[in-house]
Amino acid sequence: MEGEMLKGHLDLIVLAALSGRPAHGYAVIEEIRRKSGQAFDLPEGTIYPALHRLEQAGLLVSRWETADSGRRRRVYTLTRRGRGALADRRAVWQRFSDAIGGLLGAEPLTRLP
Amino acid sequence: MIDAYVDSLLGALRYDRSLARRLRREVEDHLWEAVAADPSEESHEAQRRAIAGFGDPRLIAAQFAAVSLQKQTRRTGLAVVLIAAGVYVTMKARVAWYALMECAIANDIAAVTQFVGSIDRYSFWLSVVIGVGCWAYSSRGRFQVSLGQKQRGLFRRFIFLCTAAAIALVVSVISDAVLTLLRLPKVDLSPEFLIPTLSMLCEVLGAGLLVYQIRATAQWAAITKSMLEAV
Repeated sequence: MEGEMLKGHLDLIVLAALSGRPAHGYAVIEEIRRKSGQAFDLPEGTIYPALHRLEQAGLLVSRWETADSGRRRRVYTLTRRGRGALADRRAVWQRFSDAIGGLLGAEPLTRLP
Repeated sequence: MIDAYVDSLLGALRYDRSLARRLRREVEDHLWEAVAADPSEESHEAQRRAIAGFGDPRLIAAQFAAVSLQKQTRRTGLAVVLIAAGVYVTMKARVAWYALMECAIANDIAAVTQFVGSIDRYSFWLSVVIGVGCWAYSSRGRFQVSLGQKQRGLFRRFIFLCTAAAIALVVSVISDAVLTLLRLPKVDLSPEFLIPTLSMLCEVLGAGLLVYQIRATAQWAAITKSMLEAV
């Protein structure tokens, strides 16, 4: 998958990865890989600026938790506003995807002379 | 190896200490978890792979700098309004104190105090109006991470507005200081001297804090821009 294309949709991807359950950064990356069938292989560090940005925007909240290993980790949870934002972006993406699908699938592309 | 990587990542974010502290724990936890999940028996190799998977530290630091700038911008917008409110409360408290102490203005300086008082009022309310504009501008979250051409224009406008609000507030505080000096009795340690003087000091501190905050935000923006351009 094109890196630039991914970057443009990173917020949507992160929100979607957190829609199932709260998770820490590493688990978010794992969830993105799993749900995308390994298609989205982002540099792992790029997820953290997105998590912090979404938290600042009020779409996520986070808290420190202690893992079984004894390490402290920051766990992120979608807020009500975050769920709303995810639903909105999902709808926009669906319309965009349908439109592109229609363009690419319905008619053969006309070759330029 | 992981410590050195985290140090290099956070070194660029030393201007935001709270973010750097929080990130250290988060990034270290992430990298050690990646090492634990690595099938390699060799710890050095697993650490190298975890670091490679995390990405270029300069790029991540630049992205974090932009996130931090957004936070700083919101704080500055809020600071303009809060400091103006603080100056207003201090001003009103001092006037109430004068009334309580029945401290009247001498007739020979009445015209001067009226003139300076007008400057004070107009400049203060001007700072409030511009300050509310700054706060509204910053809270709309239009400053994006990329700091591209459009965002730079928005940011410049924001800093310009904040500077205008700060200048108006400084003029108001200077006018207040002049009015206080005109009203003050002889210099001594009496409450009649100390209370207005201390209240003036609070106003000066507030205005100074605002100027410092705006300057720090502009500097942070310049650093973020150079970091983003370097990657």
